[in-house]
Order: sequence, then structure tokens, then C-alpha cells
Amino acid sequence: MTYRLGVDIGGTFTDFALFDEGGSRIAVHKRLTTPDDPSAAVLGGATALLERENVAMAAVESIAHGTTLVTNSIIERRGARAGMLVTAGFRDILDMGFEQRYDLFDLRLRWPDPLVPRRLRREVRERIAHDGRVTEPLDRDGVHEAVHGLVNEDGIDALAICFLHAYANPIHEEAAGEVVREAFPDLYVSRSAGVFGNMREYERWTTATMNAYAQPMFDRYVERLERGLAESGFAGQLHIMTSSGASIVPETARRFPVRALESGPAAGALMSAHHGRSLALPDLLSFDMGGTTAKGALIRRFAPLKQYDLEVGRVHEFKRGSGLPAKLPVIDMIEIGSGGGSLARVDERGLIRVGPRSAGADPGPACYGKGGTGATLTDANVVLGYLDPGFFLGGEMRLDPIAAREAIERHVAGPAGLEPIRAAWGVHEIANEDVARAFRIHASERGFDYRDSSMVAFGGSGPVHALAIARKLRIPRVVFPIGAGVMSALGLLVSPLGFEVSRSRRAFVADLDAAQFEAIIAPLVDEATGFLRRAGVAEPAVVCRLDMRYQGQGYEIEVTVPGDGTRGGYAAAFSRLETLFRAQYAEIFAETFLDEPLEIVSWKVEAAGSEAPLAYHGMRGGERGRAKRSRALWFGDAFVDCEVIDRYGLAVGTTVEGPAVVEERESTCVLAPGDRATVDERLNLVAELANRGGDA
Amino acid sequence: MSPRTIDAVSLSIMWDRLIGITDEIISALVRSSFSTIVRESGDLSVVVLDADGNSVAQGSYSVPSFTGTAAPTLRHMLAKFPAESLEPGDVIATNDAWMGTGHLFDINVMRPVFRGARIVGYTMSITHLPDIGGLGFGAAASEIFHEGLRLPVCKLVRAGRLDEPMFDVIRSNVRVPEQVFGDLMANVTCNEVGGRQLLDFMDEYGLDDLAPLSEAIRGQSERAIRDRIAALPDGIYEGAIDIEGIDDPLRLVCRAEIAGEEIGLDFAGTSPPVNRGINVPFCYTRAMARYAVKCLTVPGMPNNEGAVAPIRVTAPEDSILNAQPPYPTGGRHVTGHMVVPLVFRTLAEAAPEMVQADCGNMNIVTFQGTRADGQPMSTIYFSTGGFGALQGFDGADTIPGPSNMRAVPVEMWESLTGITIVHKRLLPDTSGHGEARGGLGQEIEFRNDTGFPFTAFCIAPRSEFPARGLFGGGDGSRRTILIDDRPVHPKGAHAVAPGQRFTMRDSGGGGFGDPENRPRGKVLADLDEGLITPPVAREVYGVTPG
Repeated sequence: MTYRLGVDIGGTFTDFALFDEGGSRIAVHKRLTTPDDPSAAVLGGATALLERENVAMAAVESIAHGTTLVTNSIIERRGARAGMLVTAGFRDILDMGFEQRYDLFDLRLRWPDPLVPRRLRREVRERIAHDGRVTEPLDRDGVHEAVHGLVNEDGIDALAICFLHAYANPIHEEAAGEVVREAFPDLYVSRSAGVFGNMREYERWTTATMNAYAQPMFDRYVERLERGLAESGFAGQLHIMTSSGASIVPETARRFPVRALESGPAAGALMSAHHGRSLALPDLLSFDMGGTTAKGALIRRFAPLKQYDLEVGRVHEFKRGSGLPAKLPVIDMIEIGSGGGSLARVDERGLIRVGPRSAGADPGPACYGKGGTGATLTDANVVLGYLDPGFFLGGEMRLDPIAAREAIERHVAGPAGLEPIRAAWGVHEIANEDVARAFRIHASERGFDYRDSSMVAFGGSGPVHALAIARKLRIPRVVFPIGAGVMSALGLLVSPLGFEVSRSRRAFVADLDAAQFEAIIAPLVDEATGFLRRAGVAEPAVVCRLDMRYQGQGYEIEVTVPGDGTRGGYAAAFSRLETLFRAQYAEIFAETFLDEPLEIVSWKVEAAGSEAPLAYHGMRGGERGRAKRSRALWFGDAFVDCEVIDRYGLAVGTTVEGPAVVEERESTCVLAPGDRATVDERLNLVAELANRGGDA
Repeated sequence: MSPRTIDAVSLSIMWDRLIGITDEIISALVRSSFSTIVRESGDLSVVVLDADGNSVAQGSYSVPSFTGTAAPTLRHMLAKFPAESLEPGDVIATNDAWMGTGHLFDINVMRPVFRGARIVGYTMSITHLPDIGGLGFGAAASEIFHEGLRLPVCKLVRAGRLDEPMFDVIRSNVRVPEQVFGDLMANVTCNEVGGRQLLDFMDEYGLDDLAPLSEAIRGQSERAIRDRIAALPDGIYEGAIDIEGIDDPLRLVCRAEIAGEEIGLDFAGTSPPVNRGINVPFCYTRAMARYAVKCLTVPGMPNNEGAVAPIRVTAPEDSILNAQPPYPTGGRHVTGHMVVPLVFRTLAEAAPEMVQADCGNMNIVTFQGTRADGQPMSTIYFSTGGFGALQGFDGADTIPGPSNMRAVPVEMWESLTGITIVHKRLLPDTSGHGEARGGLGQEIEFRNDTGFPFTAFCIAPRSEFPARGLFGGGDGSRRTILIDDRPVHPKGAHAVAPGQRFTMRDSGGGGFGDPENRPRGKVLADLDEGLITPPVAREVYGVTPG
């Protein structure tokens, strides 16, 4: 009997999902995160869950771990005192950023401070040209002197080495790293080309500083976790989830903690894709709504869309451009400042706004009765009857409906001149519209036609809003997986081992031949597969992708190069590059072609182990009967009496007709009149939408 | 549905939805356009207008020069092709500098939206084309005729069919015909997408026409900006600034009258036009003036006709801010951008908590030469100074305003040109000092490693007249340009030989308020980070560490 365990550390809760390979069974658990020593909640929760399920730690084959620790250490500025060695003349790149405003009318814009303050950046003489030539040798004495100052006088714990054009030739970064290691063998060192070797110094160096900033904390954390797990009898493999949806082994994670940014949300998207595969739904919108934000991802042909830009810690109302940029392989997520705790108000136009400011978990919405007085989305949902004040978090917490109503009256209905119920409806609908709008723009920017797709909805607040949002987007179907509150922990269980490496190197296709082409790809294949082999994957699947463009065009297109996964296995595809590029171009843009030379800008190789599907079946669901009681829900023009259904009591094959509410411990699915949902054999609630247009 | 029956809930949802449609049209436009200028600088806009020609919604990211221009452009178009003469599938365009947005590079493309036989609205997109013939981008022309192809209001597409002869004319007049054609087609296509979305939206919400919604949106916007203007003290405010022309300095003069809920801005007294392409058609002056007032009153308000209605802008025809044909206008932004700090300065006493000290502005430099591999090279470098300070709020270092082009990364630049950037660093002490300090300028040094000479064309602002402070705040440093450490003229074409160094020192932003009132902690923090030097801390701020 073998088991797999998924553990996801979030800001408030640490979630657990235990999968029993033999019995096709999943057990879940949740406990409060322990910020001072996060491994305490992980070890305590794992032990408790295993005891409850009567499973020995030794029977657990693997633990997949996702965490917000790295993200939070950057947002909350609780990382290391990090220094930086930088090419002489370029110390200030981190302060200058993109040299662009992200809002044109707001003159009081804020930007996050760099993670390494200016006084902890030291310049070193060296220079490498864009084609990798050394044009000025590395001043080793300068490196020595600078790092001595940083360690002995400034007391740094970690160092980022960031040289210009290191992606084209890392020799100086490596040599400087050796000088540092000889002098200070225990100092944490991150090299910009080693972290992720892309062109564009500001993003690459910022990514390297994030790695340095988070490394001492994350290294200690992983070490403590491994030791704790070993002491409690764990003898399997620990995998750490990355932002790209793939997992890495602890040794790699300790070197590259920045890869673990935003791994929780990535795991949620991965789980949506997994549901898509088991339901034969290739194109999906993955929708996760929690307490402070909503997150979305698009899934095309069973795989989440990926990209290489991530912004961490936006400091100005979630605005794009107000955070620190990281250049890494990531699942392409949208973040929307709408969650259960989002505050509603009436703006200068007399219109209702929801978020991005949030009441958070403490004091939280007015209805929590913990001192919050602002009107939140959760308060509106209570007034509308969508949430049962007596059954929040499975009845663990009582909500105060009078406080909810008063908050809506005071902050929304009064100022906007509306009846309270209309105001609450407005707050709910405007949050839906905000999410729908973010999906529309995101999909449109990526050429993704969502109208034939389905939605997978989860998170504490996702199922309350999903069908209304799907209706706005005219999506015909919404899947509500069981365990809406622990989707990321479940997603961790399906994450394969994987690692992607990248090099920026501009080359005209016409200037290359097949042998030169192969000579660039081969070392990347070696590097990527090396990580996997060391993690015990003998024959990883390898994918090679190129970012290509017409000369002079500012927009690159990702082209997958067919090959057999070996270091020499891509040369044959060289002659077909132009055809491949054009096919991809036509898919994304209109079919207009330029008569310009083709250029390769960056080269990416990803190696991955096999997916670990959750092949659970033979489920019957509950037998306790479905109806708990009934209550009145507002659907825009009237209160409608709805059946209230206990999700855990629904048997496989049961159909639920809207209007209805289906309650589970962490969330509530709201079905409008005409919607109809069926419980499938994996206990997903699959809802088909009634045809109803927009309604304002 | 009448405007009164649209309550706050419906209006919030439908208004945002309309803006969402403009944003979706923009993403269609950006994805299908060819030129980098559209993508990299965001020099574009999309507007939805109602059947009466009022602008109702505009893309959320719209550069200042497109504030409130679409409705007047549409009026010019409909004067030539009246609404009743239009057919489904028609697409109208013009790049006229006086009807559009001030120079020939911007193409305005409009498509009527038909519901059955009736026009229910219009969509319009505006993009900066990669080329329009003539002398190319810059201020070198002495007449508009030197600046390239001037398309009168014309039908690019008639009832769904491209006007091929028109496209032939365009293609044979520009340097990069495929890119220009590609961008024009992107404009045509995105408006078609926009029209479909608008009809879908109307079906979804059961709207027969946009008028009541448009009236509600414009009404609410106008109410909001009127309330903010009413909160400003009534009176007449006067301001003037000196700026650099090409040869002689220019004076821009503004007289603002705040009366109740309305504001009037008049630019009488401003210098006359010049025989170089830095003249400003009135449409551009008005857009920049409206942008400035919007920043001061309702910065978060989406753009539409109502949001600019109470702002009246006038400029006499003999002035550089209302230049008439055939004055050249290719570099109209060089002068026109200065309207924003002029309006801020003029209204400083009226809205001290909102106005901004001058920005260090941007030097847009064109490099032309030969790459090391022998290929021709022509590219633009955007070099920005510091942002101006506001009350209690430091200006950001090396941030542009009011223009907003993103800097080219050093690694990208070197690989594109073969010109080495020797260093790029902040210049301590260059900001205007003050209770809030301006943003620092920077120094960028290039070394010609191409093996061939190159020419750098620049019209560097703030070289003679610095970014000025407000309310006792100091001025920022002046912009200078050097070749091998010797200063050269900041406006002109400079030949740089192989091995020579070309250095740009960008200006700092202006400070706000008396430096003596700057909190000691902030002075020490700047000192600690090396952004000011000990003598400045001591002499300007009266602070010595310890």
C-alpha cells in the first residue's frame, strides 16, 4: 500500500491531501499556518492526517510541497540581508527599472524598493559583449575586495552576482563566484545567468536578487523540514513545486528558491488541467477565488498556458507594473483584486467598486463580528442568502447577518441611493463583472477563444460566483471539483518532476546550419536532463522551444521544435523552422506574412518526468440524503426559495436542478434557476448553464 | 431605458463593460499590428462613440495625446461622409495633423457600427505608424509637405472592399510598406472586432441604442469633474514658462479662469510658430491641456466626452500652440508636452495638493549608422530624466512625464546596434531640492564600437531651461550632451567617429516646497543611499549626519 501526500502552505492555512494509490481514496486536512516555523504546521498536520487515516509515515512514497514562503518573504520584506556584485557602471539598474509609468493619470505612483539597497551593491570591473566575447577581463582583486567589504563591514548573508550579458557567456559570473566561495564558503551566492539566463538585465538581475534574498530562509526551512520528516519516519521523496507547474527535488529548490514563487496558485491551475483530462475537456478557464484575490489561468489542449514573466508584491492597487518583475517559467496567471474580503464602496462617479482593498481575514468582513465594519463581498453574499450564517466553514464560524446588512446599507446602499438588497446584488454582480472582464482581456491577449471552453471553479468564494461569471462569458459548463478549499494541495499530487533552462542568444536562421543549431541546443538538453537524472528520472521527456520573430518585430512567438529528446535529436527539424514559425504565427495573428528574415531570440529546453495521475474511481458518494433545508436566495429581481443540499450527501449520478445551493465545508455552489448539475463518478459537480443573457 | 432609470448597479456594470470592449479591441490591435512602436511604446488608443458622435469609452491605457481627440476627429470625418451616406463595412481614415492628433504619423481609423440599417455607434482606433514618408521622424522639416503623406479623410474600405488604389498610394510613399500596410490592416480588423462586440453587448443588455447609456456615462463623469472644479477657488490664474525652441527660446503663456464648475485655459501671448517641425496643431494642445486638468481633478476617471466637457481650451491662431498649415508638426510633442507643466504651474495656487513640479522630460535620440556586420542601423533611444515632485511626495528617479516610452535595456541595445553603453547611472544631486525632492537624472555613456561613424539626432529638452520647482522647491539639473567629454549642442545632428564616446546627462525633476522643511530622516536616507552628497545635505538641507 503506497500513499502520496500533498502539502500546500498558504498565508493563513496549510492544506493537506493524502492519496491512497491502492484504494483510490483521497483524504484532506487543513490547519493554521505557523509563520515562525512553517515546518511545524507541515509536520504536525501530516502526522495528524496520517494518524486519522491510520497510515504509517513510512508508507508515504512521496510528499509534494507547495508554499507561499518565498513570495511572502519578498512581499513582507523578511528575507536576507543581500548584497550584489554588478558590472561597473550599472549599479543603479535596479533603481531605474523600466523607466516607465504604469498609470498615466495618477501622478503619485509608487514602486517597490529593490531587494538589495543601493549601498549594498558593489561594482566590479569586467565586461562581456552581447555575443559572449570577453572585452574586459574580470578584476578578481576587485571581487575579493568588494565581497570582503560586504561581508565584514555590511554583514550580508547572501550575494547576487549580476554581470551584463552573462546569459551569453557566464564565465565571469562563475569566476567571481569561485573567488567568493574561496573567501566565504558559507555565503549564499546566486548568479544571474544561473538562476535564469535571459536577456534584459533589469528583469534577470531582479530575479537573481530575489533568489539571493529568499535563499537563506528557504534553505534553512527545507533542511528543517527534511530532518523533521525523516525523524517522523518518512523515507520517500520530497518534491517542491515550482511556479511552472513542475516539481523539483529539495537540493535544486535550495539552490533556486525563486522557482518556488507562486507555486500554490500554479498547483491549482494544474489540478484544473488534470480534471480537464479526466473529463475530456481540453480548453478550460481555471478560476480560484479566495479571501483577498481571485486568480485565473487558461488551459489549452489540457495544458495550462505558460509564460516567462511574473510580478511579485504589487504595491499599488494590484496594478500591473507596480511590482518586482521576475523572469522565470511560470503558469500564466491573472490576479484580480476581488475576493471574499474585498471592500465595496461608492466612488467619485457614484458607482459601486469592489476591491482591490480588502478587509483581509482580520478583522475581516463585517459579518465575521471581529470588529470589521467595512462592506465586503462576503457581506453582500450573506445579504443575498448565498452564504448560510449558520454554516460557514462547516458551521465552525457563525456569521452575523445583521452586521452584514448594516455594512452594505452604510457603505453602498446609502451613498448610491439604492435599496439594500439591490446594493448587495450590485456588489456581487460587479465582482463577477470584474472577474469576467479580466478573463476576457487575458484570453483576448492570448488569442484564446473561451466560448467553447468550460470553467473549473474552486477556492472559498469561487463556487459562489462561478456560474454567474460563466454566464457573462457565455461558457456552457462549470466543473466544481470536490475539495474546493484544498485544490492546490491536490494539484501538488499531480505535478511531475521537471526543470526548464533557457538561454537568450540572437541568431538569424539564415546564418545558421543544422550543425550550429544543434550545437546551441545540445548543452541545454544536457543541463535540463541533468537536473532530472539527479532527481532519479532516468528518461525524462524533453521539449525544446524557441522564441522566434521577424527581424525588427517587437513580439516573439514560441515555436516548439520537434525532436526525439536527445542532445542531437533536434538538428533534423532545422530545415522546417520557417514552416513551423509560420504555422504558429497564423494561429496567433492574422494570416499576413512579412518578407523579413527570421530570427531566434531565445532557446528553451524543458525536461520532465511523467505525470502522476490521480486515477481514483469506484466512488459512490454520500448516502445520507441530500436536502438539509431550504432558504431564500436573491437572483436579481426576487428572492427565490432554494433547496439547500449537503454536498457530502450526494450520490454519484445525482442531478441537482437550480435554483439550489450545494454546501460543502469550505465553500458553497450557487445554482441559478435553470442551471442543472450532475455528480460525476469522481464526485465533481458538473453544472450546465441555463441560457440567460446579461442582466444588469 | 432612459438615463434616469439606469441605477448605480447597472451603470457600473455596463460602463465597465464598454471600457472592457475598448481594451479588447486594443489587444486585437496590438496582437495583429506589425510595428514595434505600437507594442513597445503603447502609442495608440481605441474609442467607442455613440450615434451622435460623443465618445463614451476609451481604452484604459491611453497616452495623454489622445485625451478627447476622437470626437472632433469623427466630426471631421462625418462632415465629409455624412452618417446617412455610410454603408455597413465602410472604414474611414485620416492622418491629417489638424483633424487627428497633431502629426502625420498618427492614423485615425473609424468604422460605423450598424444594427440593421441604422448606425448605433462608431469605433475608432488611433496608432502611430512606423513611417509616413517625407523626412522621417523628427523636427527637420520646414513645411508639412516635407513630412510625408497627408491622407485627407478617405474611405479605406468601401462596403467591405479594400480601396486598392488608395493602399497602393500609401505603400509607394513609405519606407517600410509591408509594416505600414500590416498596421493599417490591424486597425481595420480591430474595428470590425469592436463593432461585433458592441452589438453583442447591446443584445446582451437589451439596448436598442446607446444614447441613454452614453448620456448616463457622460453625465456622471461630467458631474464628478464639475464637483472637483467647483471645489477649486474661483479666480484668474496666470502662468508662463520659457522653453527651448530649435534656435531661439519660446515662451508659452497660460491664463486660467476657474468660474464655478468650469475652467477655461487660454494660451494667448504664446510665441508664434517656427519653421521647424515643433509646431503644435490645436487638437494636440487641447488634448494635453485636458490631460493636465484631468490629472488635477479626476485622475481615476475613465476618458469620455463628459470628463472633458467643462474644460474650455483656446489658443490664438498666430501661436505655436495653434499652428496652421503648412507649418511642420512632426515633432509637435517637443513643444506640446510642455503644456502640461505650464498648466500645473498656472494652477499651482488653485490646487497645491495636486500639482506637480516640472519633470526632467525625455530626450528622444535617433542613432543612424552601420552595425559592425555592415548592415544599416537606425534606431531610437529614449533617455529620461527625473519625475517632478508633488506636495509631500518625492518624484521618482529616471521616470518620464508626460510622455511614457519605456527604456531599451542595455543588453538589448548593444545587441541591436553594436554601440557599447559604457555606463548608465544615476546622477546624485541632480534633482530639484525641496521638502519633496524631484527625481534624479542619469548619465548614459555610449562608445562607438561599430567600426563605422554614426550620427545621433537629438532635440534634448531642459538643456537651457531646467525643470523648475514649485512653492520654493529647487530646479533640476540641465541636460547636457558631450562627445569625448566636450559639450556639444543639445539640439542637432552629431557625428560620432569609431571609438568616440557620446554622453548624455539627463536632467533632474523639480522639487516641491522649501528644502528646509524636508524631514531629517529623508535627508539622511538619501545621503545613506548616495543620492545626495554631504555638501548638499549640509548646505541645502542643513543636515549633518550624527
